[in-house]
Amino acid sequence: MAARHEAPMRARGVSGVLKGIKRLLKMHRIFIAQDLKKLMEYKVDFLTGMLGFIVYQTINLIFLWVIFSNIPALKGWTYEQIIFIYGFSLLPKGIDHLFFDQLWNVGYSYISRGDFDKYLTRPLNPLFTVIVERFQVDALGELIVGVALMASTVGSVSIQWSVLNVILFLLILPFATLIYTGIKIITTAVAFWTKRSGQITHVFYLVNDFAKYPTTIYNDVIRNVITYIIPFAFTAFYPASYFLTGENPLFNLGGTVIAAAVLMTVGVLLWNKGMSVYESAGS
Amino acid sequence: MRRFFRTYLPFSRAGVQMMLAYRSDFLFHLIGEMLMCIVMYFVWLAVFESSDGSTFMGFSMTDMTVYLFISFVTSYLTYSDGAIALGEEIRDGSIVMRMIKPVKFDMTFLFQELGGRTIEVIIALVPMCVCVEAYKFCVTGSVMFNPVYFLLFLLSTVLAYLVSFYFNVCYGFTAFFLKNLWGSNVLKDAIISFLSGSRIPLAFMPPVLQSVLTFLPFASLSYIPVMIYMGMYDGMTIFKSMLLQAFWLLAFWALSKLIWRLAMKRLCVQGG
Repeated sequence: MAARHEAPMRARGVSGVLKGIKRLLKMHRIFIAQDLKKLMEYKVDFLTGMLGFIVYQTINLIFLWVIFSNIPALKGWTYEQIIFIYGFSLLPKGIDHLFFDQLWNVGYSYISRGDFDKYLTRPLNPLFTVIVERFQVDALGELIVGVALMASTVGSVSIQWSVLNVILFLLILPFATLIYTGIKIITTAVAFWTKRSGQITHVFYLVNDFAKYPTTIYNDVIRNVITYIIPFAFTAFYPASYFLTGENPLFNLGGTVIAAAVLMTVGVLLWNKGMSVYESAGS
Repeated sequence: MRRFFRTYLPFSRAGVQMMLAYRSDFLFHLIGEMLMCIVMYFVWLAVFESSDGSTFMGFSMTDMTVYLFISFVTSYLTYSDGAIALGEEIRDGSIVMRMIKPVKFDMTFLFQELGGRTIEVIIALVPMCVCVEAYKFCVTGSVMFNPVYFLLFLLSTVLAYLVSFYFNVCYGFTAFFLKNLWGSNVLKDAIISFLSGSRIPLAFMPPVLQSVLTFLPFASLSYIPVMIYMGMYDGMTIFKSMLLQAFWLLAFWALSKLIWRLAMKRLCVQGG
């Protein structure tokens, strides 16, 4: 995404763009390596963080289990199907959390304290640097639970894991992830005007809780908001329901791609506009 | 006594001012937390529509709604940031500023947080209770507000807050061993949300687990006040439950003093 802005001026044409992307990927690997070194330094912290997210998700599961031990189905969805949707919702959330976590700090403090200046002094696109700067291993907790949940439903939900569906599944995940990232970029960019926007990001981010359950349980207002305005429903319920029922691939999967494209475009445009009005807090 | 308040009330005033300075942070945070509550409301609504009877394990949808929102506001008010604040100060060394002054470290934290809490009670608790009572009136068609239960609820909530505060102070000392306070805080909050019954009412748990969890300190954090508010407890149970809260308050207070003493021997602040 950011590669377009990053290609050095002298490099033109396809080979130039490829070179730019290659450079960015190399930088990303360096950032990840740095974070892994930190990880080895603070092993206990890593385990607590990951355990925290595993326990948090497990408790939500116990909640679902208590509910389903008393009712056969929730508005027509079986326990296994709900678990599948729930597990699905954790994957894009976890991937975004794993790779693109640094955005939070920009909205919470970097801009208001003037720490953002450091990105402007580097020969790298600031948005790209911010996005990949931190490799947040805590997210492995979410990813492990997500994969385990989806694996546990194999056999009990009627999904045809044909080659096509596996490919679609792998293709849709990055787009679902970019919905998270896009919303974070947009709300973080607000801080260029307001100095702090961490709390705004937090509120928007929490809307993802709605996506873990079938949208059919909500009223029209909420359903429309999570479909068209803050489209978290496309990170979990819609794509997951395609795999569960095979219905409406155009809306269920296409919607995810469109939502991701729109949010990322708006995010990058707003970010660039914000950068042009950025004034360091100075100190 | 007067001297005590003259010493610590300025901390409360600072707390109020901090709250007002960061009022948008507070409001956004409240809205964010409310969202989770709304999700749960719809999940429960779907549960009741999908189940055969009009009650689910002894709770009607009205009970469940009242439980959900009152439990939300109670856990919100009794939540204490002490763990993070103390942890940060231990890590960056600013804890020494509290040590070299003739004040008690826990009282400074406590009074500062109480200042902010007063504002929150006005902004969050009062409207929430009004809404819940209005909702109950709309559904059942009669006013069932009992001022005695409400006062007991307030008293129990104050106890709950103090238990939470001292528990979090004890927990804050983990900063001596951990750098990743964020992760360990997620772990702590997740465990508490389960054990305190704010995620799933303890009444839904298997009987054995239920009696164990009711005795553990976590039920004192929000479950007891909420049950009192809903009128689920009779006089004797209320008395016993509040005694239990007082017991845990004393236990965590003593523990925090003990850890503080031990920790001060170990504390090593670099530079300054």
